[in-house]
Amino acid sequence: MRHRLTGAVVGSVLTAFALTSAALAQKIQIGCTATSDCASAMIAVDEGIFKKHGLDAEMVLIGINSNIPAAILSNSIQIGGPTSTVFLQAADGGLDLVAVSGASIMNKTSNDAIAAFVRNGITINSPQDFKGRKVGAPGIGAFLHVLFVKWLVEKGVDPKSVNFVEVTFPTMADTIKSGGVDAVLTAEPFVMRMSNANLGTVGARYAAELARTEPIIFYAASREWAEKNPATVKKFRAAIAEAAPIVNNDRDKASAAIAKFTKQPLDLVKLTAPNQSEPMLKPEQLAWWIDVMSAQKMLQTKLDLKKLILD
Amino acid sequence: MRERIKPLLLPIAALLVFEAWMRLAAVQSDSLAPPSAIALALADALADGSLLAATRDTLASAFAGLAIGGAIGLVLGVALGLSHVLSRLMEVTIEAIRPIPSVALLPIALIALGFGYRMEIAIVAFACVWPVLIVTRAAVGGIEPRLIEVARVLRLTQLDRIRKIVLPAALPRIVLAFRLAAGIALIVAVTVEIAINPLGLGAGIMTAQQALRPDLMLAYLVWIGVTGFALNAALTAAQQTLFGRAALTDDNA
Repeated sequence: MRHRLTGAVVGSVLTAFALTSAALAQKIQIGCTATSDCASAMIAVDEGIFKKHGLDAEMVLIGINSNIPAAILSNSIQIGGPTSTVFLQAADGGLDLVAVSGASIMNKTSNDAIAAFVRNGITINSPQDFKGRKVGAPGIGAFLHVLFVKWLVEKGVDPKSVNFVEVTFPTMADTIKSGGVDAVLTAEPFVMRMSNANLGTVGARYAAELARTEPIIFYAASREWAEKNPATVKKFRAAIAEAAPIVNNDRDKASAAIAKFTKQPLDLVKLTAPNQSEPMLKPEQLAWWIDVMSAQKMLQTKLDLKKLILD
Repeated sequence: MRERIKPLLLPIAALLVFEAWMRLAAVQSDSLAPPSAIALALADALADGSLLAATRDTLASAFAGLAIGGAIGLVLGVALGLSHVLSRLMEVTIEAIRPIPSVALLPIALIALGFGYRMEIAIVAFACVWPVLIVTRAAVGGIEPRLIEVARVLRLTQLDRIRKIVLPAALPRIVLAFRLAAGIALIVAVTVEIAINPLGLGAGIMTAQQALRPDLMLAYLVWIGVTGFALNAALTAAQQTLFGRAALTDDNA
């Protein structure tokens, strides 16, 4: 009986606490996954750039990117870093999200870091060789998966002939080693780690062959919040614009900020260059994604480009 | 003394073999780590307080959910156990909602309640209602009819009947139901954290995994096992000290 009482007391205190802290929320919370794409926001927190612009911001580590739209709509985070594919699918599904600032874009460095890594015993000489193979993607419909399917289509391979399954980044090496999949769609530092452990070879540098420059991740908010808080959005944009060059030019500061946020060992983070930060976001950059995703039948509606990015 | 050591021999030998295999074969893995590395990571996480903070978050959510869900289950269970009409009326509704896995509510809960304690408590509460409800209903329904007759003869009010006759008679099984629900609460709380909620022990496992720290990830796993064991031991002890022999039923005597 006493246990139940204590439980009830603890519970109600916590609930009250959660309610009051939500009501006082001057603070903005920025939710991102454990990648380098939101490095501009990490730097802006660590270097006090948000503070300088009068923003009290903190970052929240989110496990799965596709949870970000729901987290934004529930106001658990005010700004999130969804991938282009997650954002467009959420918008297509009717969630009223709006992009507020650019985070990361594809460039030569990031494209070169992406690979389809093939296990030992399988040789890939041409894209045709992926037919009938079991390929692990970090998520079906995720950034790397959509890019890979686009590449297959460009090379004249029917994506339906490839058997895609979900394999998360941390389990890729073990899944490749056990032969659970024939290939994984991955990126650095995983490519290097798996190569060094002699688990297989790079089967295709598909992102490098596509050589695109569209956004990977950008900062998004709910339209309601963004329209109610124009001053906060303005400050956020200014801080990100100031932090982005630091990410691109100061590898040490960027690595330290990324290691701090993702909790990955600093030595590991230092091995790979962070993805290019680009605070500007233009409607035509999203147009390519919409075309690609529509071609892959991932979008049901006709999205209005002008409405997706906040003026 | 020797008899006490014997049961430990097998697990210790297994750990040593595992350690030797990891070291000798130089296994490089993002999912496995040698036991010594796990022990070190566990000590580090305990020392810097992150593990204890996560344990507090998980247990607070689990207990709050248990309290809310258990209270709802108890009230409904007593009501349904006392009234056959009500029980028949509610049967279809309850049997339709009960099989829904609590974790399947996550997407809705995330949009409605957002990250944090509230969502986790709500899901844990949902999971805890059913075992308490079902066991309480059966316990109350199975009370010796003569006790109910005594209540009627004494002309007790409905409230007094529940307070003085029904609850004491059904108490041992109700306590058992709560112990059962406590185990479920911990499992559901950790699952919610692994799936979505960025707090507590489950989120700790996921963060460690994404940070490519299998040693820390497995340290969290070991700690969750320790927590579950301690929780069960504490509840069993509490049950016996608070209720003494009355808490013993056929099921756990």
